[in-house]
Amino acid sequence: MFRLCSHIRRPRISPCKFYSTQPDKPSIQLVAELRKRTEVSISKAHEALIATNNDVTAALDWVQKDLAISGVKKVAKVEGRETKEGVISTSILSRGIGSDEAYGPGPRAGMIELNCETDFVARNELFGNLAADIAASAAVLAAPLDAEKLPEFGPFPLDLLHDLPLISHFDVEAEPTRSVGDGIRDTIAKLGENISLRRATALSQPPEDRNDRGVRVGSYIHGSVNNSRNGRIAALVSLMIRSLRLPKILSSTDFRKDLETMERALAQQIVGFDTRSVMYFGHVEGQERDPLVLYDQPFMMYPGNEAGQVVELVLQQWAVERGMVTSMDDPEQITAASALFVVDFEKWTVGESVIEPDFVSE
Amino acid sequence: MLSLATPRAIARSVSSARITRPLLSTVSQRLSAGPSSSELFLTLGLNYASRRGYAEAYSRAKPHLNIGTIGHVDHGKTTLTAAITKILSEQGGAKFTDYAAIDKAPEERARGITINSTHVEYETKARHYGHIDCPGHADYIKNMITGANLMDGAIIVVSATDGSMPQTREHLLLARQVGLKKLVVFINKVDQITDLELLELVEMEMRDLLSTYNFDGEHTPIVLGSALAALEGRDPERGAQKIEQLMKACDDWLDIPPRDFQKPFLLPVEDVFSISGRGTVATGRAERGIANKGDEVEVVGLGPNLKTTLTGIEMFHKELDRGEAGDNMGALLRGVKREQIKRGQVIAAPGSIKAVSSFQAQIYVLTKDEGGRYGPFLEGFCPQLFIRTADVTVRLTFPSGTPNVAEKMVMPGDHVELVCNLVHDVAAEVGSRFTLREGNKTGQFLMCCLSPGFAFIISVTVGTGIITKILSLAEQK
Repeated sequence: MFRLCSHIRRPRISPCKFYSTQPDKPSIQLVAELRKRTEVSISKAHEALIATNNDVTAALDWVQKDLAISGVKKVAKVEGRETKEGVISTSILSRGIGSDEAYGPGPRAGMIELNCETDFVARNELFGNLAADIAASAAVLAAPLDAEKLPEFGPFPLDLLHDLPLISHFDVEAEPTRSVGDGIRDTIAKLGENISLRRATALSQPPEDRNDRGVRVGSYIHGSVNNSRNGRIAALVSLMIRSLRLPKILSSTDFRKDLETMERALAQQIVGFDTRSVMYFGHVEGQERDPLVLYDQPFMMYPGNEAGQVVELVLQQWAVERGMVTSMDDPEQITAASALFVVDFEKWTVGESVIEPDFVSE
Repeated sequence: MLSLATPRAIARSVSSARITRPLLSTVSQRLSAGPSSSELFLTLGLNYASRRGYAEAYSRAKPHLNIGTIGHVDHGKTTLTAAITKILSEQGGAKFTDYAAIDKAPEERARGITINSTHVEYETKARHYGHIDCPGHADYIKNMITGANLMDGAIIVVSATDGSMPQTREHLLLARQVGLKKLVVFINKVDQITDLELLELVEMEMRDLLSTYNFDGEHTPIVLGSALAALEGRDPERGAQKIEQLMKACDDWLDIPPRDFQKPFLLPVEDVFSISGRGTVATGRAERGIANKGDEVEVVGLGPNLKTTLTGIEMFHKELDRGEAGDNMGALLRGVKREQIKRGQVIAAPGSIKAVSSFQAQIYVLTKDEGGRYGPFLEGFCPQLFIRTADVTVRLTFPSGTPNVAEKMVMPGDHVELVCNLVHDVAAEVGSRFTLREGNKTGQFLMCCLSPGFAFIISVTVGTGIITKILSLAEQK
């Protein structure tokens, strides 16, 4: 300790900059406190206190205002640096029909990829919270799809998302204080790495005016560190559920729990295996199963499916067991295949190439 | 202050020697340093060949240490590395590698696993250093698991203008995770800060942070300097001298890991023979330590321990009195029947290693491109575990307290902490490395046929790991 202190003080002997023009030198305690509260750099905290004459409250304001100015400079400095680490973050505000979330009963979900330069930053809490906030913003602010349309995930235009308010994932009702773009800029200023929002998708759809069918969404996130909403690989999946007794069966907690298990297992299956499409339209009996097609994969992620039954058959059996299938005589017959089916999914991996092969051309 | 003055004086004498006789600087340096007798006997076999031309007589191996730099991208890790090689090259202890020449973490493959890391080497008066720098957390973890570029110590680089950053926490957590006990801190860019109290604050904050993450915050050496000044050869008070001080701190503070032959004896059994008239001989390559004829040893693993005496050591059909780490040897064991010892067990100094039945490990799961699995696995997966010469079935589970175990999976490319429950106990300890393979499996969607009726068995390397915690020892009857 002795030796170290002498190092620090030693440069004082040298003809050093002692001709400070500031009348009030900020105390070290105040700099430390300001840093604890804002996580800005030492020199910024120092500058803030000089500018505000050692008034911590004023300095906090100064820091907030300065983030905009110095943030822009920092952004310019780091611009162009490669960002291939980061996280995928998902936000599900409503699982769809039968859910009692505030944003229901239509589905409302968002997923984003936020990139940075190193995985140290990707593991950091500030960065993780920013990603989760942007995902929540995408979910809340997505343009609603027509109720009659199939629930497919649409890309969220990034230019638009940048200018929209950043919504806190802790409390989506809280008044936003800054835009998504500002949030990214402030975080760049604090973490000093280039951060870029690479892609975003969302599904928001009001419920249809009928009670024999509805839309559900599920998600699975793999490789979470610290924040369970963020991970290395994630998938969102949308399903259509149909039954003449839908309101009744959905009122059962057991049924809803089973349904959530199924949704999660489907999303996990998509994350776990290389999945490119949901199903072949016009599947012929005896046709060979394609490992890249979800419906053709052995459903490894569904609990209790040790026999390795394919996804398509597990889904059908699930619907039959729950009495969702109707007889032939009905005007709008619900078959085992149409009682519960996957409509669309979106699976992202951090840093992957976004140019996707056009698989579902048929 | 005394400790400070010495390196400076040496630096001066060295630089003057360099001006007059640049070619012989290495020699003069080596002469003036004066090898200590104990160091002369330590042979490490590192690459000194390049200097043999004129320094052979003085060639001596110094203790080797792997050191890493960890820090924020803009805080000057590369500049510091370049500065270290520059300052040490002036003393003949390194080849100056300038900023541009330090590779930006090229990809390499260790044990089939792709790792990004940069290597530089240099030596101080006391030690030889291998310097590594990886771009990310995952690369350091892979290095730890594979043992490719093991870090024995690290320099945390922090810029004085920023102070510790939010991600400095992640840097320290990593250092903990890879098992580092001691760190050295370099506070860089001090020439950009005029207020000395601010520098003290940076240092104070670092000490606090170090203590928070269970490092010795009070005693960790923190050196304040400017790597750029050292590199550009200006302001020696903040530049060159500080680099010397930093390396001195590394020499003094970072501990040299015990070398293989200083550890207790261990010989993994590869094969067993029965030689008529002599007894049972177990062969293998001694992993560490030294064994003398007549030593007490213990056979550990795959059943109850067995105490015996080493009655003979053979190498190349010649009898020896002593075997040591690296020797391919045969060990003659007193009163042991051929059936009592088998491949997979180890012969070790008594009590130095125990047979374990379950442990926790940090495991890297190979990607498909690295020759690993195609798909994920869930809790309860049972691959084969290969450790030294042993090969046992292992059941993998998540550590107790992991949430949502039922729906958690492990995917290729992950590095995870898992619990390994062994079917048969094997000799192992914290720090032992192993490989997980999956045999007799044709893979999810792979099926190769050479000719009708003959199915190819594909063995896939699932992953590789390092033991972090022993959970239960094998029962000894």
